[in-house]
Amino acid sequence: MTALLDASDPLSQTSAPASAPGRSRSGGGLLRYIIIRFLLIIPTVFILVTVVFFLMRTTGDPITAAQGGRLPPDELARRIHEAGYDQPLIVQYFQYLGGIVTGNFGTTFSDHQPVATVLVTYGTATLELAFYALIVAFIVGVPLGMLAAYFRDKGWDALLRIFAILCYATPVFFAGLLLKLIFSVWLGWLPVSGRATTGDELTMQSLDHPTGIYLIDAFQTGDPAVLGDVLAHAVLPGIALGFLTAGVFLRLVRTNVISTLSTDYVASGRARGVSEFRLVRKHAYRPALIPIITVMGLQIALLLGGAVLTETTFEWKGLGFQLAQYLQARDYVAVQGIVVMLAVIVAFTNFVVDVIAALIDPRVRY
Amino acid sequence: MKSAPSRRARVLLGASALAVSALALAGCSGSGGSGGTSGGSLTIGTTDKITSIDPAGSYDNGSFAVMNQVYPFLMNTPYGSPDVKPDIAASASFTSPTDYTVKLKKGLKFANGHALTSSDVKFTFERQLKINDPNGPASLLGNLKDVTTPDKLTAVFHLKVPNDQTFPQVLSSPAGPIVDEQVFSADKVTPDNTIVKGDAFAGQYTIKSYKVNSLIQYKANPDYQGLLGPAKTGTINVKYYASAPNMKLDIQQGNIDVAFRSLSATDIDSLRSDKKVKVVDGPGGEIRYIVFNFNTMPYGATTPDADAKKALAVRQAAADLIDRKAIASQVYKNTYTPLYSYVAQGLTGATESLKPLYGDGNGGPSLDKAKQTLQAAGVTTPINLSLQYTPDHYGPSSADEYAMIKDQLENGGLFKVNLASTEYVQYSKDRVADVYPAYQLGWFPDYSDADNYLTPFFSKDNFLSNHYDNPDVQKLITQQVGTTDKAARAKLIGQIQDKVANDLSTLPYLQGSQVAVVGAGVKGTTLDASFKFRYAPLHK
Repeated sequence: MTALLDASDPLSQTSAPASAPGRSRSGGGLLRYIIIRFLLIIPTVFILVTVVFFLMRTTGDPITAAQGGRLPPDELARRIHEAGYDQPLIVQYFQYLGGIVTGNFGTTFSDHQPVATVLVTYGTATLELAFYALIVAFIVGVPLGMLAAYFRDKGWDALLRIFAILCYATPVFFAGLLLKLIFSVWLGWLPVSGRATTGDELTMQSLDHPTGIYLIDAFQTGDPAVLGDVLAHAVLPGIALGFLTAGVFLRLVRTNVISTLSTDYVASGRARGVSEFRLVRKHAYRPALIPIITVMGLQIALLLGGAVLTETTFEWKGLGFQLAQYLQARDYVAVQGIVVMLAVIVAFTNFVVDVIAALIDPRVRY
Repeated sequence: MKSAPSRRARVLLGASALAVSALALAGCSGSGGSGGTSGGSLTIGTTDKITSIDPAGSYDNGSFAVMNQVYPFLMNTPYGSPDVKPDIAASASFTSPTDYTVKLKKGLKFANGHALTSSDVKFTFERQLKINDPNGPASLLGNLKDVTTPDKLTAVFHLKVPNDQTFPQVLSSPAGPIVDEQVFSADKVTPDNTIVKGDAFAGQYTIKSYKVNSLIQYKANPDYQGLLGPAKTGTINVKYYASAPNMKLDIQQGNIDVAFRSLSATDIDSLRSDKKVKVVDGPGGEIRYIVFNFNTMPYGATTPDADAKKALAVRQAAADLIDRKAIASQVYKNTYTPLYSYVAQGLTGATESLKPLYGDGNGGPSLDKAKQTLQAAGVTTPINLSLQYTPDHYGPSSADEYAMIKDQLENGGLFKVNLASTEYVQYSKDRVADVYPAYQLGWFPDYSDADNYLTPFFSKDNFLSNHYDNPDVQKLITQQVGTTDKAARAKLIGQIQDKVANDLSTLPYLQGSQVAVVGAGVKGTTLDASFKFRYAPLHK
């Protein structure tokens, strides 16, 4: 009976509402939707850049912020003049916009690095961490959400809901410290901090074309030990940050699966004798995933926010880690560049997520 | 019907748990599988930060630590000594009161193959003066007029003030690293990557791989011909930490071989009992002291009840009450030591001028002596003293340190201390604007010479701006700087300390130690009065 259902399962069709009528019309709609959604990134980023610029300037000019206590007033004034920070704010704003367009975000005060280089060097580390965290969130959140739905209002469900609340209510730095204490200090199973051991990091740095994404660079070395080392370093930060989102995914999947389980087509399947477990596993979870993809866009912002704390806790040298360092050094040029970059990542990710959601669920584009 | 799906569900539940565990297991398999150090390599951890590895663009511990390994100096401090000797120079001496002539060794070259000549020396110092970066050490070259090069091996430094005995020390300071004129910019700070790509190094090590404030790999430089000799370890990796606890865990677990700057006093204390590591202590140049503003302190010159004698008595009573040993042991777990003078112990000319004058005469506090001093001067007690410190510049223990100082001063009821703190940026403005009657400061020397603890503090228009003005002291300071006889100079330095100890312009109380934590098999850790941590003697 199972094989019969798999071969010509009417429920399989019902579980995919995407196959709506008007294929050519929907294709045109999709293209239009993608273009509009893409164009919307421009004003979004523009507004973000503007807000960030003016908010940062409310604290004064970056040179005074970074070096005010260390320079005599005349030298400070000279430096401010040289950098153009004594010009009207609106002039500085347009100069900054012009710089961004040409990829020039300025130079950091604290370590004399071009901000663009900082963004490229450390942005890859943050993206890699976000990738690991999303994997953890999916692996943990989706199946546990399905289970919670399956055991609705029973003991397991209650336990899993508590687990979900703990996941997203526990501060990520606390979770990180706890994981470090257990797995690194007490058990000694996993590394304390960093993205790789020193030797492996140097090996990857010496590659002809290092990407900065250690997972890829580790593959490039062709040494399984390097790959194992990189993965070992990723486990705790990935779990600490991933569980934050896993809790949200768990609750979302649970709610959606429960909702789907009460639909007519599932009732029909149930009437035909399809097992409850199979209904959940085969037919109810797919529609439940659509909202997750949508929510993922929002979760990226949460992940990047959490990355600041996770990266600092685990010395994962990404944009979040650098942001904390530059904030401590009052290096507002660097802070401004990183915040803008994080905003761009969020805007772009939301675009990608929206496109994926539109591809999966045609209702989105209408 | 119900039992079958339940079993499957449990399988799924188990699979989920297994997925999480798999991640951990994947990590476990790789954690010990690679990396680390072996043979001729060592890994050092630090929480220091690099501002720039261009000597004209930085003046901080993290940047200078790199420079000490990779750049040559004309003068340098040999291992174990505070006094300087020629490094890549064959000789260096005053050839006239205002001419300091340095002759280079023959055949010097940078790692990139460029010849290192007197032209590079001239270029080095003239660019320092030209760039004059606010983050750089150009201010140390205030006495330098210009440099001439009679030949390829000779550089003559023309000085403004004759017989400046601190100048050889300046050549070993952050202003002194010699740079390659073919790689460095003459008029602006050169980016780190340009320097590394240009391989513009001629010290004991060169930089093989460089990721700022993250990871640096050094390789021993076989062409170094200087005073300090060749490096004992072929490869040194330096890992930069943001968090001292992470560095502590890594040294405990053997992931790094050396941890240098800056573990907390509590961490160091706990590591002393860890058999897997060794804690190595050495003299430190950092000092901590309280500054008295001679205008605004109790009975200060601009207060309504101004009285110089009473003001002095107040300072003396404070000196009688401070228990340095208690602060060093309780707050800093003996990573700092009591300081009884103005010049850091270990340097030529350092005395303990304050010890016999105040407290119990042996370095301990004395309430009775403080009472007598105040009574004799007719000071009404309790004295209201506003004492300020900054919580974000001298380490996380400043609050504990000053809470203890407050307790010590108030013990016996002679003082009523109003203790307050201000964030450093504002603090550094306020302290020179006479806002604080008494306040915390610290000092890390520019070079290992006693004068560096005297001229900046007690000459006219000193950086303290506390209105202390003693012409006798100023005259002695000028005299010692130009005294060529070492013994006579040391005597003058002693006299200055004695005089200031009577005046108590500042009240020094702690001297920092240098502390390195090394793996059990690491040898050669050299922490001396040069206050430079050099990697070359380290080996396994």
